[in-house]
Amino acid sequence: MSMNRILLLMFLLFIVEGAVMPWIIPAGFGHRIIPHFVFVVVIFSGLYSRRHLALLLGVSFGMLQDVVYFGHLLGINAFIMGLMGYFTGVLLERRRSTIMMAISIVGFACLLYDSVIFFIYRVFRITNESYAWALIDHILPSLFLQLAFALACYVPARKWFEEQTKVKSEKSEE
Amino acid sequence: MFTLMIGFILCIAVIGFSLSDRKELTWPEKFVKDSAAYVQQWFYKPAGYIAGFFEDIGNLRTIYEENEQLRITAAAYSRDKINYNFVEKENERLKEELKFTQQQKEMYNYNYLIAQVISVSNDANNRTMMINLGSKNGIKPNMAVTTVDGLIGLVSSVTPFTAAVTPITELDEASPTFNSIAVTIMGRENDSFGILSSYNKETSRLVMTKIAENDKMEIQDTVITSGLGNVYPRGLVVGTVETMQLGDFGLTYTASVKLAASFDHLTEVFVVQVPELEEAGK
Repeated sequence: MSMNRILLLMFLLFIVEGAVMPWIIPAGFGHRIIPHFVFVVVIFSGLYSRRHLALLLGVSFGMLQDVVYFGHLLGINAFIMGLMGYFTGVLLERRRSTIMMAISIVGFACLLYDSVIFFIYRVFRITNESYAWALIDHILPSLFLQLAFALACYVPARKWFEEQTKVKSEKSEE
Repeated sequence: MFTLMIGFILCIAVIGFSLSDRKELTWPEKFVKDSAAYVQQWFYKPAGYIAGFFEDIGNLRTIYEENEQLRITAAAYSRDKINYNFVEKENERLKEELKFTQQQKEMYNYNYLIAQVISVSNDANNRTMMINLGSKNGIKPNMAVTTVDGLIGLVSSVTPFTAAVTPITELDEASPTFNSIAVTIMGRENDSFGILSSYNKETSRLVMTKIAENDKMEIQDTVITSGLGNVYPRGLVVGTVETMQLGDFGLTYTASVKLAASFDHLTEVFVVQVPELEEAGK
């Protein structure tokens, strides 16, 4: 899988989570179940590729999201996505994580991602809700969606990123 | 560690830049938004059609009752229309006699621009929607956006071909990026007054404050925008009053308002163009 192909697929995912997912999520749950598919792929790239790639992907797609859906603040998603991708890479880059490991890492990462975003908005006083409420209202319900997505795309994502690193390392050996 | 610090500083700088009171987006932002929106609109509409098809099948049973209700309302409308025509004629004649200026006459002659939603943000605290009309179509920031059910939000920023709509659920007095909306009650437009100051996400109700003590507002009344302040148009349905209680200082009342419009599965929205926007600005 070439880098261009991965970028294209991630862009497609970005489009899907903004334009198709609102229709798939049943009415009444639109503000409770929120897809973060691109973020899941960034975490996968940290797990099965290099941490610098995860950092770059996280920063660029986070920035894309920030710019396209600019509402209050710019740059939050870019910062957190990049940071989380990088740290998953630092922790688990060299290990060959099993499916259970990968899914639980994705779960924790999503929890952390939503929580950090919530607290940043709290700091800037854009939301005034309590963390417990946010947890029940949208962080936990959307976690399940993310886990289901991670489970569904685990095999292809792992294949792409591992191939991608292999090609890269072969090239650098030559 | 060093890169982390640089990244952190950059992040703070960008957040600070976006928080500053800027009138317009920068051109890279506009470019990215327009190109992303161009792709997104290929997806949102077909997905809507497919989802709508299944919803229609689900709704087949209730369609008969709905039809009957609509017929009753249509009859009521035709009666009201006759009445309205007389009142409008008279109103026009009176305006002529009182020598209203052209600007005063066209003050409430709003233009409703129909727009398609093309995507919804996937951030729980920032549910911005993108619509496919932009500054080329005459959209400006702070225009009100409604559906057939009621007010859903305000245009927060525009690019040449798209506009970002901040939903009314992001309304917050304390927030640096959003204004409050003056409202009144349908049927008692001159007697009632209140300000929609914030949205309580925990109860999912709007909070309406600064209601006078002697206000005759009742539960189940329909809340509409009053157009006072001349920023937002008047007469847009917001929701219904649900509860009323004494405010924080005991001098005014506070009410909670249930929104009329739903934010899920939106397709067409209307952007309300206020004719005198430029003159009002001067």
